Amino acid sequence: MTDAITLHDITKSYDGFTAVDAFSLQVQRGTVFGLLGPNGAGKTTLIKILTTLMRPTLGDAFVEGHSVLTAGKEVRRMIGVVPQENNLDRYLTARENLALHARLHGMRPAAYNPRIDELLEMTGLAGRQHDFPDTFSGGMQRRLVVARALVHEPRVLFLDEPTTGLDPQSRRSLWDHIRGLRRTMTVFLTTHYMDEADALCDRIMIMDHGRCLADGTASQLKDAFSRAHTYQVEFRNDADRYQGVLAGLPFVKGVEREGSLFQITLADEESIKPLMDHLSGSDIRRICLKEPSLEDVFISLTGEKVRE
Amino acid sequence: MFRGAFSIWGRDMRVMRRSLVSELVSVIAYPLTLYLAFGFGLKGYITDVNGVPYPLFIAPGLISMTAVNAAFDESSWSMWFHRKVQRTIEEYRVTPVTVYDIVVGKIFSGFSQGAVKGTVVFLVILALTPFRIDYTNLPMYLLCIALSSMTFSCLGTICGTVIDKPENIGRVQSVVIVPLIFMAGIFFPLSSYPSSILPLIQLLPTTAVFEGARDALLTGTIPSQYLVNLVLTAAVCFTVAVYTFNRKMAE
Ligand SMILES: Nc1ncnc2c1ncn2[C@@H]1O[C@H](COP(=O)(O)OP(=O)(O)OP(=O)(O)O)[C@@H](O)[C@H]1O
Ligand SMILES: [Mg+2]
Repeated sequence: MTDAITLHDITKSYDGFTAVDAFSLQVQRGTVFGLLGPNGAGKTTLIKILTTLMRPTLGDAFVEGHSVLTAGKEVRRMIGVVPQENNLDRYLTARENLALHARLHGMRPAAYNPRIDELLEMTGLAGRQHDFPDTFSGGMQRRLVVARALVHEPRVLFLDEPTTGLDPQSRRSLWDHIRGLRRTMTVFLTTHYMDEADALCDRIMIMDHGRCLADGTASQLKDAFSRAHTYQVEFRNDADRYQGVLAGLPFVKGVEREGSLFQITLADEESIKPLMDHLSGSDIRRICLKEPSLEDVFISLTGEKVRE
Repeated sequence: MFRGAFSIWGRDMRVMRRSLVSELVSVIAYPLTLYLAFGFGLKGYITDVNGVPYPLFIAPGLISMTAVNAAFDESSWSMWFHRKVQRTIEEYRVTPVTVYDIVVGKIFSGFSQGAVKGTVVFLVILALTPFRIDYTNLPMYLLCIALSSMTFSCLGTICGTVIDKPENIGRVQSVVIVPLIFMAGIFFPLSSYPSSILPLIQLLPTTAVFEGARDALLTGTIPSQYLVNLVLTAAVCFTVAVYTFNRKMAE
């Protein structure tokens, strides 16, 4: 068995409203798996089901071979969880927060104290370990929650928007750490940052309305959705005239203009040749193919409309 | 078994130790005020109740009241706070401990708060006033307080589990808990009730709490009907609290 996480037709309804809809998934051990989706897509609901906080309405899921329905305790032994919202104990110091977590995992002080020292060092909180978390900045609290999830060296780590609210330095240092875990741990994370998914994840899934829309590596997703064929053309002169010409071409799907720089979206790959026929080479300063970003893929799949 | 409960209880005791000294003034102020106001204010009017001097008549009830109030307060607010505000219950629930560990740990924390604060008030009344008891009666009294604190801790846990809005916990306290306590005859003998409703009053768990505690402290025995009532109520409340919490967590 090389799958760390398996979901079989997981459905979750909240009185009639279906938040997760017959969702199936297998995540291999040692993968950093990223789940993307607009607000309300069902990401947190999926994590709650996988971490045994919530029972699915239908279906079953397995973490390291243990069913979340019938072997919750075994599942919880395997996992570390960073919830979307920090749930630190503000009446315990940073160090006590970690120690309580270790004790709830049945660890003894001789085992958890060195581990906690190491994690406090790694998250840069060693100097503040005897302070209470409500005297910490948002980013420091977030790092403490991550450290807490790692105290018992879980096999599968769930991170629900781990870097929301972190400064670029902290984000990067957390990314480095997650990359370091990749071999020994399976990481399941959700994020709204496309650069984060791109930089970090071996595999990305985009979901919306409780269903999977796309699945693959970052470059696979970009390739699959690069059929939009967007070119950037910068004109030396006659930009205004060309705007009119481009608007009249049937195979041009969209034109965005910024001064003399045009972003031209073509209907298909073949349209580049007729396009060139309509443009005179001497008027063009620069032309290049615009690589689609993960964000383009995301927007084209989930639409531009803001979720209520 | 229940190592998780022990860890959660340990956490609560650590936090209590930190705040106990600053909390003591308010813990003592209320029962001591009642003791001074009623015990001394009314001494000229009520010399004794069934042969017991009035200050001695009300003292055991005030101590019990402190204990059960503290148990209810701690359990209800702490459960609500950890569930709705800090969401630490969610953190506990993603570790290998079970929901039984969590609810049992929390019930014992409420119980311990009641025991500690009741003891403090007992010592203060002992130190500041001529209130004296026969120390051989103490074990029975402690048993009575322990059962009562357990009951109120479970009731608090139930409230903190099912009630989402904090103001409603306050309402339960003023509409249910306070009347139950005051009807139970801390300040007056039950014989003041008309004989038609007396049997009902005697069935109240709080009557068993306060009458039982007074009898235990002053005579060294708990009337068997009260003892049965205390044990049964504690057992029922414990079962209901564990069941309710379990149900809530499965939502
Ligand atoms: N306890 C609940 N009761 C009713 N509906 C809920 C509950 N929790 C979530 N939902 C609904 O389920 C849907 C999915 O919510 P979920 O929190 O899983 O989204 P998400 O993908 O994590 O969004 P975000 O990016 O905003 O965190 C939403 O439409 C939400 O309104
Ligand atoms: Mg979410």
